[in-house]
Amino acid sequence: MTLAEGVQLVSTIILSVMMIGAAIGVVLLSNIVYSAFLLGGVFISMAGLYLLLNADFVATAQVLIYVGAVNVLILFAIMLVNKRQDFAPMPKAWVRRGATAMVCAGLFALLSTMVLATPWSFSTTVPSSAGAIKAIGRHFFTDFLLPFELASVLLLMALVGAVILARREFIPESAVTDLQATPLTLPERPRELVPVGGTPSQEESK
Amino acid sequence: MMNFLKQVGDYVKEAGQAAKFIGQGLSVTFDHMKRRPVTVQYPYEKLIPSERFRGRIHFEFDKCIACEVCVRVCPINLPVVDWEFNSATKKKKLKHYSIDFGVCIFCGNCVEYCPTNCLSMTEEYELSTYDRHELNYDNVALGRLPYKVTDDPMVTPLRELAYLPKGVLDPHDLPAGAQRAGLRPEQIVAATPAKTDSTKESNAS
Amino acid sequence: MNSGIDLQGTFIESLMDLGLPLGAAKAIWMPLPMLLMIIGATVGVLVTVWLERKISAAAQQRIGPEFIGPLGVLAPVADGLKLIFKEDVIPAKSDPWLFTLGPVIVVIPVFLSYLIVPFGQNLIVSNVGMGVFLWIALSSVTPIGLLMSGYASNNKYSLLGGLRAAAQSISYEIPLALAVLAIAMMSNSLSTVDIVDQQSGYGILGWNIWRQPIGFLIFWIAALAECERLPFDLPEAEEELVAGYQTEYSGMKFALFYLGSYINLVLSALLVAILYLGGWEFPIPLDAIAGWLNVSPTNPVFQVVTASLGITMTLLKAYFLVFTAILLRWTVPRVRIDQLLDLGWKFLLPISLVNLLLTAALKISFPAFFGG
Repeated sequence: MTLAEGVQLVSTIILSVMMIGAAIGVVLLSNIVYSAFLLGGVFISMAGLYLLLNADFVATAQVLIYVGAVNVLILFAIMLVNKRQDFAPMPKAWVRRGATAMVCAGLFALLSTMVLATPWSFSTTVPSSAGAIKAIGRHFFTDFLLPFELASVLLLMALVGAVILARREFIPESAVTDLQATPLTLPERPRELVPVGGTPSQEESK
Repeated sequence: MMNFLKQVGDYVKEAGQAAKFIGQGLSVTFDHMKRRPVTVQYPYEKLIPSERFRGRIHFEFDKCIACEVCVRVCPINLPVVDWEFNSATKKKKLKHYSIDFGVCIFCGNCVEYCPTNCLSMTEEYELSTYDRHELNYDNVALGRLPYKVTDDPMVTPLRELAYLPKGVLDPHDLPAGAQRAGLRPEQIVAATPAKTDSTKESNAS
Repeated sequence: MNSGIDLQGTFIESLMDLGLPLGAAKAIWMPLPMLLMIIGATVGVLVTVWLERKISAAAQQRIGPEFIGPLGVLAPVADGLKLIFKEDVIPAKSDPWLFTLGPVIVVIPVFLSYLIVPFGQNLIVSNVGMGVFLWIALSSVTPIGLLMSGYASNNKYSLLGGLRAAAQSISYEIPLALAVLAIAMMSNSLSTVDIVDQQSGYGILGWNIWRQPIGFLIFWIAALAECERLPFDLPEAEEELVAGYQTEYSGMKFALFYLGSYINLVLSALLVAILYLGGWEFPIPLDAIAGWLNVSPTNPVFQVVTASLGITMTLLKAYFLVFTAILLRWTVPRVRIDQLLDLGWKFLLPISLVNLLLTAALKISFPAFFGG
C-alpha cells in the first residue's frame, strides 16, 4: 500500500465516521439549532467523500448548494422563528419511538441487502475532472433533459409561491373600513397591540 | 412597448448618474490624499490659544471684595466665596475662594461681571487629573499663572488657522515675522483716528 | 504550456537524488506551498491593515500610525500581539461550543480559497480543475460560521448581525457567480491558470476587463459586499448593531474574524486581478520584450525575472484594488439593508444575467475575440 492509498483509506474512515456521527446527532439532539449545524457537517463530510471518489465537481456543487444555500436557509428559518418551548412529556411515547425505530431498521436492512446484492464493479477508466463537467452538461441537455427541465420548473413554482406568500399586500375590506373611521392613521394591516402596563401573565398565557 | 423601453432607458441613465457621482466622490477623496495632514502632534506640538480663549480661570486674592457677583451670575452658583465681616474695618474679609473646574462650563460670566477684575481667563486647557476632586481649585491654585506654550522649550508652538498669513494653511515652518491676514487691532485703531468718538457716541445712544 | 520554472519538480528531483523515494519526496513537498501561502496571506493582511490605516489617514488629512516602526509599519503587528494577549471572554449565557467554532468556520474557507490563487504558470498551490468554482463554493460556507457566532453569542445585536451577514452573502453570491460564469464561458475553463493564459499574449489589451467591463464592475461590487467592506458593512454597522456578530468576541476569536475579513478582501482583490486584470501578466507581453532583447525564453535568468515579475504584478494589481476599496470606504456612505438587497437582487442580478447573455451572444458571433 503506497502512501497515497493509506491517506485515502484513513480519510475515508474519518469522513465516514464524521458523517455518521453528525447524522446521528442531527436526529438525536433535542436542540434544533445544533441539529441544523450538524446537518452542515453531514453535507461537508459527504462532499469530502465525493472528493475522494475523484468527483470534484459534484463535491464542490455539494458544498455550494447544500452547505452554502440549503443549510443556511434552514438555519435562517430556525433562527427567525426561534421559539423555545419545552415539549410536554407524552404518555406512551415509547410506542412511537419503537415504531420509528422499526421503520428505520427496516429501511436500513432493505438498503444493506441492496448494497450487498449489487455486484459492484471497479471502473478502470481514469476519471478526469475537466471532462466531468462537460459530460454532466451533455447529459443534462440530452438524455436527462426532461428531469432537468422539470426540476427547474419545480424550482420556479417554489419561487413564485414564495413571492406570493412574502408579499401579502392586499388589505382585507373590513380592516380598511375600520381604519378609515379613525383619521390620521396610515392604512396598514392591523396588528396586535402590546398591552401597556398590563399583567405579564396574560402575555405568557398566549 | 415604448413605455417599457423608456423605463429601461431611465434606469440605465440613473445607473450612469450614480456611477458618475461615485466617481466624483472618489476624486474628492483622492484629492484629499495629496494634502498635507493637519495633525498637531500634541505633546510635542501645541496650538497657541487665541486671545479670547476661555481656559482655566485665574483669580487674584487681594483684589477680591467678596461681593459674590460671580456666584450670582454663575449658571450653577459654582464659585465658593468664604468671607467674614470684619467689624473693625467694616469690610468683608475674604478667607477662601474656590472654583471646581470639574463642574465649570467655562462660560466666562464670572469674569465678565467681576467688578474688580480679579477673575480672568487664562489659556490653560490641560486639566487632566486622576481624581475629579483634584479639579476643585482653591485660591492658591487659582492664583497660579499657566506656563505659556511659546515659552516651553519642549514644545513647538503652532499658530491656529486664523493667525496664519493669507493663503497659508499649514502652521509648520512659517518664515520668521510672518503676519496673520488682515490688520492687527492697533493698526485698525491707528488707521481710523477721527471716527472713534462718533462711533462711541452712536454706540452709546 | 509548461514554460517557466517548475519548483515542485526540481525540489522533488533533488530530494530523490538524496535517496528518498518518490512518495516521501512528494509528501515533504506538499506542506511547503501551503505553509508559504498561509504565511503569505497573513503577511498580506498585515500589509493591508497598515495600508488601510495609512490611506484612511491620508484621506482624512491625518498622519496615521507613525511611531511603531518606520512609518508605523509595525502597528498591525502590535494590534495582533495585543489581541493574542487579551483575555478570551466567553459570555456566561452563551453557547461555548458554537461560540468557539463560529470564528474558525469563518476563517478556514477563506484560507482554503488561497489554494487556487496563481502567481505564475507553476506558482500555485494546487491547480484544481474547479478553480474559481471552488472559491465560490468555499465562500458560501462562511455565512454558516457567521450565523453560528451570531446565534451562540446570545445577544440580539449579534443575532441580527449574523442574519444580515448571511442574507448579504447569499444575495451577492449569485451576481458574483454569474460574473465568474461569463469569464469561465470565455476561457472555456474554470481553472485560474487557464483563465490567465487565455488573457495572455497581447499585454494589457488582452485583459478581460476590456471584454467584460460590466462583469468587472459587478464582480467588484459583489466582492466588496461579500467582504462586508464599507458601503456594505451592514452586519457590523456600529450605529445600529454595536458590532454585529462580533459584539461579544474579544481576544484571539475576534482576531480570527478580523483576519478573516482582511484575508477575504485581499483574496477578492487577487481574484479580480486574476479574472479581469490578467493575473501575473505584464502590461507589455514579456515574450515580445525577450524578442526585442534577443533573449531566448528558456534562458534561466529570464525565467527567474519573469517569475518574480509575475508575483510582483499580481500583488501590485491586487493592492491597487485594495487601495480603491479603501478609497471607496471613505467616499461612499453605508447603504440601508433594503437598499443593499435592492441593489443585489434588482440591479446586479438582472445586469449580470444580461451580461452573461451578451457574452454568450458575442462568443458565438465573434469567437476570435471572446474565446472560441
